Order: sequence, then structure tokens, then C-alpha cells
Amino acid sequence: MRVNARRLLWPAVLILAALPPFFVNDYVQYILNSVLVYAVVAVGFNIVLGYAGQLAFANAAFFGVGAYTTAICMGRWHWPFLLALLAAALVTALVGLVVSLPALRLRAYYLAIVTLAFGELLRWGYIHADWLTLGSSGLAVPAASVFGLSLASDRARYWLFVCLTALVLWGSANLLRSRFGRAVVAVRENEAAAAAMGIAPALTKIGAFAWSGCIVGIGGAMFALLLGRINPESFDLSQLLLHFGLVMIGGLGSLFGSVAGAVVLTAAPELLRNVAGLEEIVFSLLLIGVLLFMPKGLAGLAARAAVLRERLYLG
Amino acid sequence: MALLQVESVGVVFGGLAALTDVSLAVEAGTVCAVIGPNGAGKTTLFNAISGYERPQTGEVRLDGRVVTGLPPHAISRLGLRRTFQNGGLFGDMTVLENVMVGADRSTRSTIQGVLLGLARDRAAERGAVAAVRAMLARVGIDRLEQARVRDLSFGQQRLVEITRALISQPRVLLLDEPAVGLSQAERDALVTTLRELAGQGIAVLLVEHVIDLVMAVSDRVMVLNFGRVLAEGTPAEMRANQAVLEAYLGSA
Repeated sequence: MRVNARRLLWPAVLILAALPPFFVNDYVQYILNSVLVYAVVAVGFNIVLGYAGQLAFANAAFFGVGAYTTAICMGRWHWPFLLALLAAALVTALVGLVVSLPALRLRAYYLAIVTLAFGELLRWGYIHADWLTLGSSGLAVPAASVFGLSLASDRARYWLFVCLTALVLWGSANLLRSRFGRAVVAVRENEAAAAAMGIAPALTKIGAFAWSGCIVGIGGAMFALLLGRINPESFDLSQLLLHFGLVMIGGLGSLFGSVAGAVVLTAAPELLRNVAGLEEIVFSLLLIGVLLFMPKGLAGLAARAAVLRERLYLG
Repeated sequence: MALLQVESVGVVFGGLAALTDVSLAVEAGTVCAVIGPNGAGKTTLFNAISGYERPQTGEVRLDGRVVTGLPPHAISRLGLRRTFQNGGLFGDMTVLENVMVGADRSTRSTIQGVLLGLARDRAAERGAVAAVRAMLARVGIDRLEQARVRDLSFGQQRLVEITRALISQPRVLLLDEPAVGLSQAERDALVTTLRELAGQGIAVLLVEHVIDLVMAVSDRVMVLNFGRVLAEGTPAEMRANQAVLEAYLGSA
């Protein structure tokens, strides 16, 4: 009976996840959509930061590339959304691959600085490549339509976002508990020993970055739809800091943590919005508190509460 | 020709000769030990064989094929596995996961199949889990399967590392001080295991300080001193060799 219960768990979660648009108001709907965008972003960042253990901070850059690719394909070239999404995923995966190249040579702080600089360079690019990005005035993103259904409202977009988030989580969970996910973690833990097992460390890192880029690119595409208009300022250092917070507060190396981090960090600021300055103070204190007292984040707490470790194909 | 053939290998670190003109042959089905004082170049020899150091002179052949200059993972894929002196485990992973990584090359799942959760690839992953569990049971550490490797005792970690090397069914096995941290009973078990492996046709090369173990398990012993071969022969011949006694055994 336990097996049956487990089989029913995910369909049940999906059905529950599909219900909110029938109950919530427009404002809460928008927040829920943001939560899904940032859940995808956190999963993607976690692949590089948590699972691969690379101190690479190009995540806001990946996010921007995904959003800009979507905005350009849809807004300027009038591509259908799904094609633009595919382009965003592929282009950002490619950018991830490019960012992985310095990661093959640089460690820790050096990699952090180079990837930070890369993100700022891209932001400069968005501003100055007027012919493509319309510079600092930004790009409008038309409403998407999928299979003939127009997704002009936050409610309609929510269902699309639920599907994309579920696909990203499902695909990433599958990869992480396969030999490919184990190779990524093994290279993080001990590169020389991983090589002694026949695993090519360089190829594994390149793959992890491309995979991360692909997911964050999908998150960027969702972000473009969510806002309906993007500009270079959306992808600055504060965006990166938010991404970092999602992963650290959620928990390094945990998919569950990524989603939990997105829920907490997207919903909490909305609750605190009425008091000026409180948002930033709570974010900072939360980050400091997590780093000091619970290095494995919310996921670490959950793991202690219930030992739910199913990391391999056992059933 | 021997399964593992080291021919006149020389390694220089910044003008300092770590290995000079070292030759060695390990036949399939035999155990060969490398002994020598600290700093004699034993681990450097291992690194030169397994691709972690590139020798400036000489050649390493695996089953007749020159592997000098290949990266470690490429040499590993040709059937050579090694352990590390200072712990080559993936500390944050479980015992099961560590050995699963050892089985990476023999797990026949594809990236697209795994991503889409195809039945064939899920079956390949499950098959690997089953093979690893059978191996853990044979070595007697199956009850530790879900333990994080970092939390294990030193002896248990050594066993996990050897198991992880064996799961890939290597043709050549390099063990860097496998007896460190083992109790006398565990050392005896190690001798039995190594002889069994040799019996299966594996060429075993080990670096070891525990002389009793070396004498009990080896078919051939090579003595390194200051990066050069001091002597080479059967354990009995080494015991009788005056130069060896002076350089190494006598001081023990």
C-alpha cells in the first residue's frame, strides 16, 4: 500500500497546485506566479552552487539572457511563446557552457569575481545593444498564447507556470538521482577521485553549467511573461543577491529547499511591504541567521524533522 | 608482455628528480608491492601510472597500450582503478552512492533517457543499485549502505574505497597504503581479499608500509629509495638483500 500512496502523491500535489486561481484574488495570484518563477530560478542556481559546488555568480546573467531571448523572440520577431521558450532554454544553456570554461581553471573567489563581472558585462550589453534590446527603455513582451489558448491574465499564466515548474523539478530530480547527478556531486566532493572512477571532471562541470543555464533560462522566460516588460535594471546585483538568498535560505543541494526558499523569500516581502525598510532588514537577518545557525537551510530543517531521503531509483 | 608495464619512467618536480628510470612489470593474476622510506617516490609512481603526473621520460603500458599522457579518467576507462593514500572518498555521499559512482561507466543509462524517465534507463539505474548492493554484501558492509561516508571509521572508509574500485571489475588495481588504520583482523582479511583478486586474474600493485602484510601477500616486491629502484624480487629475496636491509627493513 505504501507504493500506491507514493504513486498518488505527485498527481495529488499537481491537482492541488492547479486550484489556487479559483480562490485567490489578483494580488495573491501575482505573488504565486512570482513564487513559481523564483522556484525555477532557485533550482537552476542550486545545480551550480549546491550540487556542483561552484562559486559562480552568473545566475542573474542567465536569468537576463532567458528573459531577453524571450522578449526579443516574442516582442520583436513575433515568435509563438513555446518557440521563444525553447530558444531561451537553448541560448541560456549555451551561455552556461561559456561560463563553465573559466570554471575549469578558476577556483572559489576568482571564479566568483569573473562570473560577477560577466553578469555586469551583460547588463552593459543590454543597455548599449539598442538595435536588439532597445537599450535602457526595455522591451515589451506580448501576452503568450499556447496551443491557441491566450494567456493574457495572471490566472491563465499561473497554469502554464505550474506546468513548467513541474517539468523542471521532475527532469532535474530524474537527472540528480541518476549517474549524471552523482557524477556532478562526486566531482564537487573530490575531483581526483571522480576522475579515477572514469568520470571526466571537465565535461561534468560543463554539463552542470549548461543544465543550470537551461533551467534559469526557462525561469527568465517566465519572468518576461510575468512582468510583460523587461529592462536591464531587472538583472542587476540585487537580483543576484535575491537568487543567492533563495538557494542559501532554501538549502544548498536540495530541490525541496529551492522551492521552500522561493516561497519564503517571495511571500515574506509582500507581508512586510507596509513598513518601510522592514523588507530589507528581514531579508538580511534571515540570510545571516540561516548561514550561522542552519547551514543546510530550510531543507536541512525538514530533513531533521522527517528523514525522507529517496535519492536513488529504488521503487 | 605484462598487463601493467612501467618502462624507465622519470618524473622531475622543479628540477628535483622524484623518480629516475623506474621500471616495473605486474603480470595478470599477481600482487606486486612497492616499499621504501617516506619520500622514496612511491605515490609519485602511482600518480605517474594513473595519469595524475605526466612522466618526463619513459612509458607506461596497460595491456600493451601506451597510456602515458592520457588524463586520469581515460586511463581509468581502460580498466585501471586506484585508491588514494589520504582518502579518495566522496565524504558527503552515502556508502551506496560512493560505490554507485564507481559503477558509473558500467551503468548503461543515457542522459536523455534519464531526463525523460524512460523505463529502459530507470531499469539500468536500478540494475546498478542491485549490483552495488550485492557487492556491498559480499564485502560485508551492506548494513552501512545509507551511512554518510564522512561518519565512518577509518577502516570502514578503506573498505568502501576498495569496494568502489572493485565494482568496475578493473584489470589493474593500484592500492595506496590500504592497510593504514586497519586492525590486525582487518589486515588479515585484506590479505585474503587481495589473493582472491589476484586469483581472478587482476594485476594488483600496492604501496604499503606494513611489512608483514607485504611479505604475506606479494608475489614480487620492489624497493624504491630516493626515486630509484633499489632492488626487486620475491619477498624472500628482499629479506635477504643487504642493501634493502640497510635502507629500509633494517631501520624498522
